[in-house]
Amino acid sequence: MLNQTEGTNFHERRVFSVSELTRKIKSFLEPKFEDITVEGEISNFKRHTSGHLYFSLKDSGAQLSGVMWRSRNASLGFLPQDGMLVKARGNISLYEARGSYQLDCYELKLAGEGELQRAFEQLKQKLFSEGLFDENHKRKIPLYPERIGIVTSPTGAAIRDIVQIISRRFPSTEIILFPVLVQGENASKEIAQAIRDFNVFNKVDVLIVGRGGGSLEDLWAFNSEEVARAIYDSTIPIISAVGHEIDFTIADFVADLRAPTPSAAAELVVPNSIDVWNTLRTAIESSHRIILENIRNSFQQIHSSVRSYAFHRPFDTLRQYIQKLDEHQTTLQRMSEYSIQSTKNSLESLSLRLASLNPQAVLRRGYAIVSAKGKTVSSAQQLRKSDTAEVQFHNGKIFVEVVG
Amino acid sequence: MAKATPKNSFESSLQRLEKIVETLEEGNTTLDDSLTLYEEGVEISQACMEKLSQAELKLKRITKKLDGSFELFDEKLNENE
Repeated sequence: MLNQTEGTNFHERRVFSVSELTRKIKSFLEPKFEDITVEGEISNFKRHTSGHLYFSLKDSGAQLSGVMWRSRNASLGFLPQDGMLVKARGNISLYEARGSYQLDCYELKLAGEGELQRAFEQLKQKLFSEGLFDENHKRKIPLYPERIGIVTSPTGAAIRDIVQIISRRFPSTEIILFPVLVQGENASKEIAQAIRDFNVFNKVDVLIVGRGGGSLEDLWAFNSEEVARAIYDSTIPIISAVGHEIDFTIADFVADLRAPTPSAAAELVVPNSIDVWNTLRTAIESSHRIILENIRNSFQQIHSSVRSYAFHRPFDTLRQYIQKLDEHQTTLQRMSEYSIQSTKNSLESLSLRLASLNPQAVLRRGYAIVSAKGKTVSSAQQLRKSDTAEVQFHNGKIFVEVVG
Repeated sequence: MAKATPKNSFESSLQRLEKIVETLEEGNTTLDDSLTLYEEGVEISQACMEKLSQAELKLKRITKKLDGSFELFDEKLNENE
């Protein structure tokens, strides 16, 4: 195509305009390098404010410019950094205005697990030395959260599992879902922003941040520095729940509690309401038992006081206690299906037994207490003819003289 | 120092109940005082039991408006997804 025949006069040669030549090169070059994959190390990485990514790929011997347009990098699972070894897929295109060729890249992947692992270890080491994983910084997870904030995808399995388990364990809970993307380039940003927003909202007791299982790249949003810092800065305690049992993400190290899966997070975040019922029941049963003992002891004290006649009007106090006891019985009955039947029964039988100990009841049945000179007369031999004595009935006392 | 977490009402109710039972068990209170404590305990446990018998979980979706305030909507999860 270039006419360079020996002996041709320089002035007679075909002369291209720069644009013409460049166009020719472009049309020659581009069809030869369509949909190719090239592996190299990222350098000079730049994210333009427009959202386009610019970088070079290099190896020991050469360098290639690359660009990834904004519309294409939305699905990028990680944030490219200088030094990362990547596989880039795209077309070679020639940029006429600069006379340079570049890789118009539409897919960018870290070259192998080893590379992801290296990026992960680097960030982990950095955040560790900054103290983001410090145990002393971790907040206590509340035992009985009333409102739980969830940062996850609204369509994933994670939210369904969490809702299902919490409904079963502790249904009197309110769950507030902040829907976010959990994979792709914008995922980290959305997750971190949701955590910060929940802190502004400030009306949940605890946060669960996570997603269900996936490939290492799928989980990558939870390995971002931005998410790590949002978790660290949160004043609301956070449970991380990312992927499967074996997956550890940076988010797990920073979170106040790591749950191996979203389902496990739901099990950890609320108690089983049956257990709480039992706790309440035990508390009420013990206090009931103690109260009954106290009342019985008081009855016994009063009873012996009455017998010794050192005590003159014990019955008012006694009646007050009986009345209070009755009120509690009514309260207990209102506890419907959850009422503590056995304790109630024992309370009733105890009340009956206590009533039978009541000296007033004995007097009411026609018995009377005879005393003379301040002492109870328990034997006929204690009194002689014309002695005076006092007879205590249930409703008053009379004085008598012994006639024989 | 771990950051302090403010306790919600359910948690503090249960803690108060525990404290009441402890005090009663120690047995150093007068009968009058122990009856007052007992009454408080019954009230607290009734309130807790009422809360526990709420049968249905509430699920909301939160969105942030342009002015930075938040809005809550009732959320239904599609079981077939």
